[in-house]
Amino acid sequence: MEFDGEFELDGVPPEKAWIVLSDPMAVRDSLKGCQYITPMDDDFNFDEYEAEEDVEMLPEADPEVVADRAFVAGQKYAALMQVGVGSVKPRFETTVTIDERDDEEFEMIASGGGDASGSSFSMNSGMKIHELEDGEGSRIEWWTEADISGRIAQLGSRVINPVSNKIVNNFFGSIEQQMTDVDEETNTGVTDRLRNML
Amino acid sequence: MSSDSDFTTEPKEYQHDDDGGPQPEKHCGHGRGGMGEEVARKEDKRFITGRGNYVDDIKKPGMLHCEIVRSPHAHARVENIDGSRAMDLDGVVAVLTADDLLEHDLATMPTLMDDTQDVLVNEKVKFQSQEVAAVIAEDRYTAKDGAEKVKVDYEVLDPVVDAAEALEDDAPLIREELDDQEDNHIFDWDTGDKEATEEAFAEADVTVTEQMEYQRLHPAPIETCGAVADWDPGNDKMTVHMTSQAPHAHRTLFSQVSGIPEHKVRIVSPDVGGGFGNKVPIYPGYVVAAAASYVLERPVKWIEERSENIQTTGFARDYDMTGEIAATEDGVIQGVKVDVLANHGAYNAAAQPSKFPAGFFNIFTGSYDIEAAYGSLTGVFTNTAPGGVAYRCSFRVTEAVYLIERMVKVLADELGVDPAEIRRRNFIPSDAFPYESATGWNYDSGDYEKALDKALEMADYESYREEQKRRIEEDADKLLGIGISSFTEIVGAGPGKQCDIAGIEMFDSADLRVNPTGNAVLRVGVQTQGQGHETTFAQIVAEELGMDVDNIVVEHGDTDTEPYGLGTYGSRSTPVAGAAAAVAARKVRDKAKSIAANELEAAEEDIQWDRQSGEFHVAGAPDRSITITEIAAGAYMNHPGSEEPGLEATNYYDPPEMTYPFGSYIVVVEVDRETGEVDFEKFVAVDDCGNRINPMIIEGQIHGGLAQGIGTAMLEHVTYDDNGNVTGGDFMNYLLPTANEIPNFETGHTVTPSPHHPIGAKGVGESPTVGSPPAIVNAVVDAMSHAGVTHVEMPMTPDRVWESLNEAGLALDPSQNVSFDFEGGQSEGPADD
Repeated sequence: MEFDGEFELDGVPPEKAWIVLSDPMAVRDSLKGCQYITPMDDDFNFDEYEAEEDVEMLPEADPEVVADRAFVAGQKYAALMQVGVGSVKPRFETTVTIDERDDEEFEMIASGGGDASGSSFSMNSGMKIHELEDGEGSRIEWWTEADISGRIAQLGSRVINPVSNKIVNNFFGSIEQQMTDVDEETNTGVTDRLRNML
Repeated sequence: MSSDSDFTTEPKEYQHDDDGGPQPEKHCGHGRGGMGEEVARKEDKRFITGRGNYVDDIKKPGMLHCEIVRSPHAHARVENIDGSRAMDLDGVVAVLTADDLLEHDLATMPTLMDDTQDVLVNEKVKFQSQEVAAVIAEDRYTAKDGAEKVKVDYEVLDPVVDAAEALEDDAPLIREELDDQEDNHIFDWDTGDKEATEEAFAEADVTVTEQMEYQRLHPAPIETCGAVADWDPGNDKMTVHMTSQAPHAHRTLFSQVSGIPEHKVRIVSPDVGGGFGNKVPIYPGYVVAAAASYVLERPVKWIEERSENIQTTGFARDYDMTGEIAATEDGVIQGVKVDVLANHGAYNAAAQPSKFPAGFFNIFTGSYDIEAAYGSLTGVFTNTAPGGVAYRCSFRVTEAVYLIERMVKVLADELGVDPAEIRRRNFIPSDAFPYESATGWNYDSGDYEKALDKALEMADYESYREEQKRRIEEDADKLLGIGISSFTEIVGAGPGKQCDIAGIEMFDSADLRVNPTGNAVLRVGVQTQGQGHETTFAQIVAEELGMDVDNIVVEHGDTDTEPYGLGTYGSRSTPVAGAAAAVAARKVRDKAKSIAANELEAAEEDIQWDRQSGEFHVAGAPDRSITITEIAAGAYMNHPGSEEPGLEATNYYDPPEMTYPFGSYIVVVEVDRETGEVDFEKFVAVDDCGNRINPMIIEGQIHGGLAQGIGTAMLEHVTYDDNGNVTGGDFMNYLLPTANEIPNFETGHTVTPSPHHPIGAKGVGESPTVGSPPAIVNAVVDAMSHAGVTHVEMPMTPDRVWESLNEAGLALDPSQNVSFDFEGGQSEGPADD
């Protein structure tokens, strides 16, 4: 299945949008059903890992902490997602690798997949942030190719599409809110520092 | 079978009765519940009072529960299975994988078509939801939780689900573990005389061709499959209560697979909530439950969920057929050809007699006297669940009947001849029986025109034709279609020289024991899944012994007590086990004569039995008579020196021929030109199943089968997406008909007894499923055939019908069909019919 789309953020320049989209914690908070996103190694155990609580988020967070946890190209991340689709509510143990990150072009490509009882998926995703013509806003373009198998796939696209659309819309809605927060409440110094660190 | 069949009907002892056998249509109702009487079903008391005993009702002390871990992928290599997280759960006792089964040589099992299927996937998953591992736990919920914790790593491979694509050069190879298997082709099969058929086509005035798919269906019995396996280490005996349509055959197969000697295996098929062919094969779940019980030495229960049943157990149909007919300009059929692509799924696991890779599909000449016929078929592996079971039919007869009945309609439309009339011109004449078909079948008896005439009359055919014409002329919003199907079934498999399952000839058996107090127990080798055997077989004995039906109990389904039989499917119970019951009763009757002679102090040859009174009397002295109850007492209390004590007989009946029930169905539908919706206006079913044992049960069977025929024609389809995901694998997506979709049925019958069956019966349970889909499709096509529509694929969902309407220029544009009454502020469609 293929999903793609774009959305615009008036008044949020690409640099700031990039900072938020580079923060696993911001992404986690925006993905409905996502319990954590964390760097993983080969010994990672989904059952034993306990998600960090009370994480500081932008704009209040210490820029160094945020920069430290930002997505790194080549790194593999573990994510635990629980999604309700129709009559099933699988808990997906997902691994995602950031394949490419381009800080200049604001482009990121990731691939991964997840398994839940009786369902599994694999995906390739990407996003790129463009500057709006007025120079003050961003247009974020995204795409995903996903292969879905098992119980969820059996429900068919008429059940899956509304769910995925809802997740995506919630995600960008929430991201937009966080970006706006960052834009409004963070002084230029913090974002510049962050940007340099990234 | 081949066209040079040489078997002949040899009269068997007891096959024909001195008095001509029962003739229920002439003198039914001697009041003892014999042939032709509407005896209330004996089994219904327990069913309607909730006292049935199904597999899932069985609870044994210490019983464990089994849940199967299934693959989300349709085609994938299993790299690793980690059950440790499942084992960490309290209550999980074991996680079984193929490696564990390999230790006991139980990792694979044979299919009924001599293929080998993984019980648990050894290396490669070949269809979605295939069995990968099993979790055994103290209760069902824990087993299910455990199954979710089993971690399986897969290397996902490209699947192929379409039979035609599976034959392409670049298709992924599904069965590389088989020697010499370089592609997904399984077998080629053909039947008939190719040359003679080509000649008939070359010389014909008219030829017609139509491609049609008989879609993949699932029998979808209300009760899913399940088993309770109980290994008794003290007696080295395995008892398996399971949803089985063929307990004895399953016992033999179980013994062969497990290595446990057959006399130490007991299969019990308790009450079964519908089978429809789904419970003929052996499934991995049964074997896993048995293996787990053997290893853990505790009883283990396995019960399928609905989606597991639809997605993994035997499907039916999935034939892509191209039919051709050659005829004279008058519509006399001179030849028929068919080519089939058969999707068999990931294993060749079709359930049919071993020598018939395409079942009895070569009955495709149907009810018609066709000189030249040729059929070819290619079986293909795909990444879909294995199957090819006879869903409420006799081994691919449904596909064959659909083909010929659709093709006759195509020919009728091509020539502009009434579909009823074209059938009449081609029927095998009633005086031509026994009739050998061009593909080698020996039809026992038939009177096809009589059944058609009766159906036409019941349906008020001519006036519907006029109404149809009127609607076309008036450009009505709803078109009328009238569909006919004059089908012939082939059931009662079967003669041992032709038919076997895994080598065992398809006879069946009955064991009748009369007690000293005059009642009797009949044990039969077939098993019931709702057909009413406990009543109909008792009626056969009542008829043949003059006993009251209430005094006969029928036992079935337990291999420890019942005589060996091949099971219930393919409408074989009455033709085969019913015959055995009649013959066993006649044997008992013969012995009864000698006891009667002793009791009446007459010579045995002077003792006569009177079917009407049910009594034995001295020839010429009807007053000197004795009942079977008195004879039973004599057999145990005063037995003649010339005979052994007791009164019992066993018969293993090898049928000399198949039986050929037939019928004519007429369906009238209304097709909405705006929405493509189809409404049933009239549904007439005239069946001829030979002599009728219990008309009420027959009518119930017809109603149920017609409902399933409507499901087939209108709703049901097991669909897959390109990744091999089953998208029609639950009742949200696999639509069964409900009371809403079922119209009123008008049933009728004619009686043409089978000349070779001891009581002249032919079998009926499957005629309606076989006969009705082409009648329904013919009706929908008929509504549009004036505009050139020749076919609509099943299931005929409104969108498909609307596509046909639209292509034929018949669809109404709804936007043009709405007029606004501005003054009243209402909107409504134009007034029409």
